[in-house]
Amino acid sequence: MASFAELQAAAREQWTAWVNPPRPQLRVGLTTCGKAAGALDTYAALNEAIVEQAAGVDLVRTACLGLCYSEPNVTVVFPDGTAVLHGPVRPANVPDLLQAIRGGRPLERLAVAALSGATTEIEPVDSLDIWKIQVRRLMERCGLQDPESIDHYLATGGYEGLVRALGMKAEEIIQETLDSGLWGRGGAAFPTGRKWDFLRTARGEPKFLVCNADEGDPGAFVNRTLMEGDPHGIIEGMIIAARATGAIRGYIYIRDEYPLDVYRMERAVEQARERGLLGENILGSGTSLDLVVVRGAGSYLCGEETGLISSIQDSRGMPRIRPPFPAQSGLFHKPTNVNNVESYANVPLILRHGVAWYREQGTQRNAGTKMFSLSGRLQRVCVVEVPFGFNTLELLNVAGGGPLPGHQFKGLQSGGPLGGLLPASEISIPLEPEPYRERDVLMGSGGLIALDDTNCIVDLCQWVEWFAEDESCSRCTTCRIGTQRLVEILRRFQSGEGRVSDLERIPLLADTLRWSNCVHGQAAPTAVRNALRYFREELLDHIQRKRCEAGVCRGLIRFEVSPAHARDREVEGAAAACPVDAFRQSEQGWRIDQAACIRCGVCHEVAHEGVRKLAAFPETLPAGTAATPPGQVAAAAGR
Amino acid sequence: MSEVAASHPPLETLLRDVKPNSGHLLKALHLVKEAYGYIPPESVPVVARKLGLTPAAVFGCISFYSELPTTPPPKVEVSWCSGPACRLSGGDEIRRIFEAVLGVPMEGATPDGRVGLHVAQCDGSCCAAPMVWINGRVHGPLTLADAVRIARGLRDGTFEVREEWGHGELR
Repeated sequence: MASFAELQAAAREQWTAWVNPPRPQLRVGLTTCGKAAGALDTYAALNEAIVEQAAGVDLVRTACLGLCYSEPNVTVVFPDGTAVLHGPVRPANVPDLLQAIRGGRPLERLAVAALSGATTEIEPVDSLDIWKIQVRRLMERCGLQDPESIDHYLATGGYEGLVRALGMKAEEIIQETLDSGLWGRGGAAFPTGRKWDFLRTARGEPKFLVCNADEGDPGAFVNRTLMEGDPHGIIEGMIIAARATGAIRGYIYIRDEYPLDVYRMERAVEQARERGLLGENILGSGTSLDLVVVRGAGSYLCGEETGLISSIQDSRGMPRIRPPFPAQSGLFHKPTNVNNVESYANVPLILRHGVAWYREQGTQRNAGTKMFSLSGRLQRVCVVEVPFGFNTLELLNVAGGGPLPGHQFKGLQSGGPLGGLLPASEISIPLEPEPYRERDVLMGSGGLIALDDTNCIVDLCQWVEWFAEDESCSRCTTCRIGTQRLVEILRRFQSGEGRVSDLERIPLLADTLRWSNCVHGQAAPTAVRNALRYFREELLDHIQRKRCEAGVCRGLIRFEVSPAHARDREVEGAAAACPVDAFRQSEQGWRIDQAACIRCGVCHEVAHEGVRKLAAFPETLPAGTAATPPGQVAAAAGR
Repeated sequence: MSEVAASHPPLETLLRDVKPNSGHLLKALHLVKEAYGYIPPESVPVVARKLGLTPAAVFGCISFYSELPTTPPPKVEVSWCSGPACRLSGGDEIRRIFEAVLGVPMEGATPDGRVGLHVAQCDGSCCAAPMVWINGRVHGPLTLADAVRIARGLRDGTFEVREEWGHGELR
């Protein structure tokens, strides 16, 4: 087996050919989000054109830089090392792009930024607002290397943290992890070093490590970005954890929805094994670890550590009561340590650069950086890494580009569906667990979803409770029935049958749900509880006035053809688009059969003037108390 | 085994590396699903025997997960993204449009088994929200009119379904 120095030397040769390729190189960002934006079509079009024209360029793969809004991304690298990020590059842009490259230049029209070798026309990437605010440590290599090459990782300092750790005692590694202040990034924020010490001192052999890559929170995709962009960072973290705890086998549990991650992690494990970085007696240190990648099969609860353990060991992925904790009795009833992807990925950085370096970023309470994925009603969907303590609103405005034109932020949904809701007035807070917890919300694993004035809080809560109900394992009656009851209550609000007494029932249900065995049931009512606290007026509007100001709840809205436009061509188009053929024609022109209408709103989208979105119920409150007159639902106009 | 087995590798060959007490159940079920497109109920006793479990335990596990169907998949599967970014931009309206045009509820299929609807989970392709996957390929961001057009095309057989290529094809 080659020594580490030999591995590094061989890897550096590969890396040199990557950053200074002998002929122009086109790197297509191939990740789940890139594919969604059409990166495979772009790749195919490039491939075809390059072969056809014998263009003298190389087509290779890279991952996502986190700039999902500009995908599909193509980075063009010239022999002198100039690297320019282009996006979005569609198949139609391929001829122009190749022509520009033949002339030895990037295609300025599609250039996002220069990753190196900026010119006067193309600004460097670190002058972009979204880049300036970031401290890219975990994401340092994402989108800049071939994620399926261990050599690229090795050549850029990869596995150096491991080499240092292999020269240390288990207690020393744990002490350093504790000193760094690293806590679990999965949401519970428990100190990683302490968890490791539980496993180290636990009785029973063998000991297991588990990497929780079941990133089940809808709207969170930071772990995916890491696994698809830099898989070896996670593996290195797990080997260091093995050294610190004495574990000899590790499982990486990846959710079913991430097949590309399963593929890339399996490949990375294989490569590490080939290089002698996994297996028996790693680099002659006496530490051994082998890793297995397990693919889930579609269950949110497998993200709960005991559910995940059940799922690996041949049974339904149902969480169980703790204690015993996994460190006492986990996988196959042996001591087990479960950490999140991002937690493991932080470890090599701490070991390689030291505690002092690690603590330079972040706050006193929360050291280091955290990745966040931004989605929802924003200008830009993206994944960014910022130090702890960064202002949430600023992140949404700078990285996310702010609200969509003509709209305002209404709130924020963080920490997954069970993490809760904050109103816009409360989101100018530091990104740290504490300020969120003070507001009865969870910062969680990194998903931040922005809401704007076109979104209805009742509808969002109903979605949250539907999700909680759908994913409940049904073991605890509180969770199984509590979530159902919440869905029923919220559906009543949405259909105009809400009762004021429901508002008292919700806290009662939330209290009852607290008696569920796992966090799924306990956290299920968070969003509804937040809605009662922060959006009470909007709930009352639904119940008492039967109004959905955002124009979302289908029982509280109706669509009508405006009499003045009843004969317009536009309305004819709307009639043709109606999926249930609810438009009727008479001498007066078009009208909508309300009994047939499913309130999907396609007619209003097609004929914005001709078809109006109105409140379903006449004004029911006594005169003088109504906030807005009946009629057009104002805020919904932009939808 | 029924006629299912005739055109596929025999289960014994497929499951030769599967061992009891090793956490191989999900792996075994994925192997079966990959080969057959679903988990044929006849395969359950075989999987159970290989793993030293009862068929009931294996079936209990299958029914727990949402991506292990026990009936053949429709020829065209529309997986509707149930995630929040889609929901906040008209995802629920898109679901209603697909259901209404195709005349089937979620997790149902047209009587000829040609087009089916499936509730899928967010995989972070939120730059395409609101979206659906049609046989694995992302379609989005969709306007409501797009959804009507696609759903009608699927109903009438005029929508060209392009399969997504796997990542293996890039090498």
